Amino acid sequence: MSLKGLEAQRNTPLNTKLKEIFWGAWCMQTNWNYERQMNTAYMYAMSHTIDRLYPEEDEIEKKKEAYRRHLEFFNITPQCAALTLGISAAMEEEYAADPENFDPAVINSVKVALMGPLSGIGDSLFQGTIRIIAMSIGISLAQQGNILGPILAALISIFTSAPITWYLGKLGYTRGQEFVRQMSESNLMEKVMFVCSIAGLFVIGGMSATLSNLTTPLAFGESFVLQNVIDGILPKAIPLGMTWLMYYIVKSGKVKPMTVIIGCFIAGIILNYFGILAA
Amino acid sequence: MRLVQTLIVVLISVMMRLDSRMFGRLNFERPLLTCTICGLLLGNLQVGLQVGATMELATLGMMSIGASGIDMNMGSLVGCAICIMTGADIETALTVAVPMTLLCTLLDTIASVIRINFTHMCDNAVEAGDFAKAKRVDIVYGPVLYVLFTIIPVFLSVYFGADVVQSIASAVPAWITSGISLGANIIAFFGFAMLLSTMVNKNTVVYFFAGFLLAAYSGLGLTAIALIGIVLAVILYTVKYVGVNNRPVAETNASSLDDLEDLDN
Repeated sequence: MSLKGLEAQRNTPLNTKLKEIFWGAWCMQTNWNYERQMNTAYMYAMSHTIDRLYPEEDEIEKKKEAYRRHLEFFNITPQCAALTLGISAAMEEEYAADPENFDPAVINSVKVALMGPLSGIGDSLFQGTIRIIAMSIGISLAQQGNILGPILAALISIFTSAPITWYLGKLGYTRGQEFVRQMSESNLMEKVMFVCSIAGLFVIGGMSATLSNLTTPLAFGESFVLQNVIDGILPKAIPLGMTWLMYYIVKSGKVKPMTVIIGCFIAGIILNYFGILAA
Repeated sequence: MRLVQTLIVVLISVMMRLDSRMFGRLNFERPLLTCTICGLLLGNLQVGLQVGATMELATLGMMSIGASGIDMNMGSLVGCAICIMTGADIETALTVAVPMTLLCTLLDTIASVIRINFTHMCDNAVEAGDFAKAKRVDIVYGPVLYVLFTIIPVFLSVYFGADVVQSIASAVPAWITSGISLGANIIAFFGFAMLLSTMVNKNTVVYFFAGFLLAAYSGLGLTAIALIGIVLAVILYTVKYVGVNNRPVAETNASSLDDLEDLDN
């Protein structure tokens, strides 16, 4: 067993490795499949490290084994993949340095252990909070015909996603499992979820009051205009009611999304025709 | 002219597809961005912005996590392009987007079977020691398949669909178009509800109402609401997590005050 590969890996500049991890993470969904989800993408992201570690002809079995290791089932929020990729790279390096005492099965069990919690945190941060904030600002400006809306939405998305991916990769590679330990000790996940759920829900509340306006044209004579009565008590009461009606439809889990969408169009045509609701 | 416009839309659709495949989902797949770019390049920015905002609103809550969820991004882009090319109402974009989405779901079922085969190709290549091929399957074949399954329906529907849509759109009475527009507004609430259902519980529902009431009574815009929401989250974070550990710091402050008093003396 030559140490040439290990030397090559150690002599590769940190930034090169971090760039590989960064792009590997962003390319997590190149071949998303029902069988093992993001497995080939994980293998691709790890291939740079593995190729460096096992350069010799006689190490091909080791190399195959490492490739196979990273072809196992994997699924995560792409940005968060940087953290596991960093940890995996550091662990592959450790294993190559000390194949006698290091059990390679640990590499995969760390991946599997991190997958669930990191996806939960990643989806609520990127899809549930950052995207919602970026897009709701974007929509409200675009509705006024202002191109700044989409531009701001794009900038917010890029300048959160890129640095977070980069630093997660760096943390994973340089601090490895120690970081995971610290993360669980300091309740980091719980804290991020706490902040995300407050900011996210606050914005969703604001969204349901501002972005899509439903009013009622119902009136009895000129003296009783229903919308005026509603506005006097709780403006946007109809949007609020509609949000919770939909919430119970979603929660019941009985109706398929496509059915709801088509149902909304039919309901829209009927309610509009009889003058019950207006947008 | 039609061909050039269609090819521009095809290029935008490539960006849309690769955003979530090779750029970690930077939201360039979302209708707000694709439709705006479409409007900009086809020479009618205002329509692009309006369609983008309408479609983004209708689909805001539709997260694509893993295999679940539905993807109206392609339908939105095609709808927007047809709107601009035919000069039809914004509502037309919606009526185009829904059948396109159904088509998309169908096509993706076929593509997903091929992708499972790609995974097995990858396994076999590794087994045979052909690592370059294993990598190629993932980073070339995968994205190319995704792109093909996007640009072919986009090209066909924009190039040939515009005429069909135009003839249908002119025949549809106004009460149906305004009904569809109302329907799109109702769909947005379905999206809000989907978002809510992933985040809300008994303890956190109060933050939803805080945001709602502030916006409903004050009439503040969403940018203001978003910023206030972030500040509120930071304040509550401080109260919950930093506040408890803060006591020793408070004591040191007290002692430094003593030092200052000493200086005065």
